[in-house]
Amino acid sequence: MTPVREALVLPLTFLTVVLCGGLHLTTPVTIEAPTLFSLVLASLVLGVLVQTGTLAPVRLMHGGRSPLANVNGLVVLMTAFLATAQVLSMMTPASGLPALALSVFFLIAILQLLAAGVDRIRFLRVWAVTLLSAFTIKFILLAALTGPADRPLARALQVLVEGLTLGAFSQPVEPASSGYLAFVTLALYLFGLALLPGMQRAALVRRH
Amino acid sequence: MQEPVVRVIGATLSAAYAAFIVWMAISQPQSLAEVAGGLSASVGAYRVDPVGFNDGLRFFHQDRFVEARAAFARADAASLDPLTQFYIAYSYYREGWGRVSHDDEAYTAGLKVLDRAISLAPDGRIVVDDPQLQMRSADELRAELVAGQTREWSDLNPMRVLRSRK
Repeated sequence: MTPVREALVLPLTFLTVVLCGGLHLTTPVTIEAPTLFSLVLASLVLGVLVQTGTLAPVRLMHGGRSPLANVNGLVVLMTAFLATAQVLSMMTPASGLPALALSVFFLIAILQLLAAGVDRIRFLRVWAVTLLSAFTIKFILLAALTGPADRPLARALQVLVEGLTLGAFSQPVEPASSGYLAFVTLALYLFGLALLPGMQRAALVRRH
Repeated sequence: MQEPVVRVIGATLSAAYAAFIVWMAISQPQSLAEVAGGLSASVGAYRVDPVGFNDGLRFFHQDRFVEARAAFARADAASLDPLTQFYIAYSYYREGWGRVSHDDEAYTAGLKVLDRAISLAPDGRIVVDDPQLQMRSADELRAELVAGQTREWSDLNPMRVLRSRK
């Protein structure tokens, strides 16, 4: 891995994810820190990253590197952790039944990845699909079910869902721009994950 | 570029970016002007526009409070100057003051601005040297704003109408 990627590209990418993931484009605009549960989930994801070889901490920090290089490596680890927590927090609905359901969904998905022992490529695919599914649920499905309804059928559906869930379904209304910002943030996060220094495989050498 | 230089630049940029994010999360700026003002204040470069401030002061003493607040907001675009914020809070007090009853909405807005001004002031102390004001400290103004929002039996005292605006 080049020093530019390690010292500049990765930390700045993950910090941008932390900033954009915390932005809530409501009126007034607020910036929120990741939730406590997302911090717990992020620490599990960090374990999965190491287990699947997506992230090799030994390539970021070890005794043979200069102190400055180790500082850069530590910054990459810390920002990757915070970006993961922020993305999980961003993809989890604000409150009620959907928040609980998505939190459990993330926990199960991460535990499955831990147990499956997949490689780097498969992990990145599965993790991208998991996060995109959560994105679809929060920013498309839930936004349609809890946002302002302009047609009678949509209003009737909202009333039905509210009634069936005893009001535990409603979410604070967020502008459409929130979804676009979340999508860009998610793409940036996955880009950062793909750039992480992974486990290097030993080359196969044919002996004659 | 040499590797150690890249690493130093990376570490410095990351630390500055992280500090910026923490500052944004703590101060919750509401506009780009507040972001720019906060950043310039952090390096001691933030200045209140004297023309806007004097305009605001002139409107304030003419009891034209809406105009005064607009001028003060222009002068202190990032809402970081305790003195300007004190005058904005005072304008809410004077606008909301009534001989029989006070405007709770104006008093609440005034209290919010004043609390922000107190949090910005060194040691939380704001004292204004303006002979045209009867309350020259944030403590006096705050007590008046809080008292104006409190419901008590003395509110029914008919002698209240003899009180004057400060």
